Amino acid sequence: MAHCGPKTKRRGQSKQLSGGDLHKTILLMGLPNVGKSAIFSRFTGLDVMVSNYSGTTVEFYEGPMEIDGESYLLKDVPGIYNLEDPNDDAERVARQMLEDGPEAIVFVLDALNFESSLHLLMQVLEHDIPTVVALNRTDLMKSRGLRIDASLLQQRLNVSVIPTVALRGNSLDVVKYAMAQTVKQEARHTVPSKDKDRWRVVEELREEVVKTTPQKNGADRFSFLAKPFPGIPIALLVLAVMFGFVIGFGMGLRQYLLLPFFDNLVFPYIRGGVEALTDSQMLRAILIGDDYGFLIKGIEWPFALVLPYVVSFYAMMSVLEDTGYLPRIAVLLDGVFKKIGLNGSCAIPLLLGYGCGIPAIMSTRALPSKKQRLSVAVMVCFAVPCVSQTGAFIALLAERSIFAFLFIFFVSVFAMILVGILMDKFNKQRVPFTLMELPPLLVPAPKLLSKKILFRIRHYLREGAVPMVVAIFFAAVLFELGFFPALGRAMAPVVSGWLMLPEAASTPLVLGVFRRELAVLPLLDLDLTTVQFFTGALVALFYVPCIAMIATLAKEFNVKTAVFVFIGTTATALFVGGLFARGYDLFVTLFG
Amino acid sequence: MKPIDTYPRTQSYDIECIHSLSRGEEGIILEVPDMSLLASLGLRLGKRVRLISKSFAGGPVVLSVDDRSIAVDRELAEQITIRK
Repeated sequence: MAHCGPKTKRRGQSKQLSGGDLHKTILLMGLPNVGKSAIFSRFTGLDVMVSNYSGTTVEFYEGPMEIDGESYLLKDVPGIYNLEDPNDDAERVARQMLEDGPEAIVFVLDALNFESSLHLLMQVLEHDIPTVVALNRTDLMKSRGLRIDASLLQQRLNVSVIPTVALRGNSLDVVKYAMAQTVKQEARHTVPSKDKDRWRVVEELREEVVKTTPQKNGADRFSFLAKPFPGIPIALLVLAVMFGFVIGFGMGLRQYLLLPFFDNLVFPYIRGGVEALTDSQMLRAILIGDDYGFLIKGIEWPFALVLPYVVSFYAMMSVLEDTGYLPRIAVLLDGVFKKIGLNGSCAIPLLLGYGCGIPAIMSTRALPSKKQRLSVAVMVCFAVPCVSQTGAFIALLAERSIFAFLFIFFVSVFAMILVGILMDKFNKQRVPFTLMELPPLLVPAPKLLSKKILFRIRHYLREGAVPMVVAIFFAAVLFELGFFPALGRAMAPVVSGWLMLPEAASTPLVLGVFRRELAVLPLLDLDLTTVQFFTGALVALFYVPCIAMIATLAKEFNVKTAVFVFIGTTATALFVGGLFARGYDLFVTLFG
Repeated sequence: MKPIDTYPRTQSYDIECIHSLSRGEEGIILEVPDMSLLASLGLRLGKRVRLISKSFAGGPVVLSVDDRSIAVDRELAEQITIRK
């Protein structure tokens, strides 16, 4: 995926490069949350990559785009408010990209954040690169009684200014046309802010081009969402509905579509085919056996048991993101998070962690301090089950006892808070100021939304399903070679003695290192009591996240952190699991 | 801190911290910490702000400036002075 895409750094391309050269770059710049990604999405195809600017943790999207028969690389520069803060990574990256000599810039000037956008535009124009301005969100502007004189602005700055509605794709062709003209020319805009107070210039320019008719205040219309009441009940309701949808929709997809499809249409043919092709008992067991039959479990687990929840989780998460509701949750939780040294914005990586830990750890980069990054990453590793594992929990527990399933989530939240408190205890630091914009709420555009969801499902198929299939293949071979039973005997003191599970339950513990859900799924085929299932689930929850997450930790932080998490999670898992098994046992002996 | 130069001191105002506004009330900024992000979010001298929600459990206050909603840390908000 994406996050391990190549490190990109391209320097000083000149216009002499031959036509069709992919190294010619165009930068897409603007404030955060102003529709930059919508424009990016519509200008590029599905062939999009996430890259890191070398030497930094700042991520950006890039993808090929065609203008007038020539290919360019369009880079979606991280949204920033300023270009001059030396301590802000995103701003440093944006500055570096400007200095790398792009062919042109598409600047997204937000009609709603007019002054701040203009202030950034002034700074960008000072770099003397040919620029096209997309005056975006003109639809919302009208509904708020604002009128912006685009042609006057065009005159004052001497750049093309095109009113657009990026979310619906309006006028983006015009932007492309203007780009075709602009890339051929030298920059010829005027920079009115040179040697003057930029904010003053901006305010004067605004006076000139913006006409306001007083109207009902737009920002206030949904302001109740950020107030404790009714904001918090609504947030709880939204999260509950989201949770319900993820599980309900996922279960439905699995039960009524995918399982019947594989069980009735696919597996009989695979079984028949393998039986016709080989008589070897060993080969048959590896390929279609009941334990780790590669062609059966290797398809069933990743595609019928886990995929449905991946689809439903990312559908829901993408809707939440695109409506602009998440920052409101962050604001509501801010006070509570501060008690453990975090900001409300930490809620977003934690929520993402319920999808997959890797993007969650990567997204901690946006957090304001190193300490917060580490805290949140460790919280995700210890206590947040990924969607694959949740799917496995549902298969394991929900069908036996919905209470046990909900209890696992309760334990997860409780443990997350506990880990947060401990991380804070060992590394007390001043909490950075919370200062953020709450973007206006929007109805997501179906086309952009579906592209985003598809992108994430594709990521799961590549980075999740493929390794799972490989792991199941090795499991199938090792199982038939008698490796697991031997391992089971070796691990008996821990597995049977301490956790009170059958020896065969040592297999998921080994597989679980590679894939989180594989710490759960093999338990399905064992004949266990509900208490044993629950013990297994508890162990799996706290167990080593998965080898890919450990690697991400080592890359994002350092090897020491990765080793600490590896050992810490294993120890916690065995300790908590054993405690539960023995505690229950004691309870039954005393009161049963 | 930026000095209060935009408003003559001869007139008398109720100079107050932003926290003293009640919900829905407006004020004009007289003094604001010198942070580039605050300026970019519209919290600059002379701007009219409205309090949307007060801090809860130590969380931020939410302000409306130029039709945008901005969440500002409680401690930071205490350093912004306004006149009603």
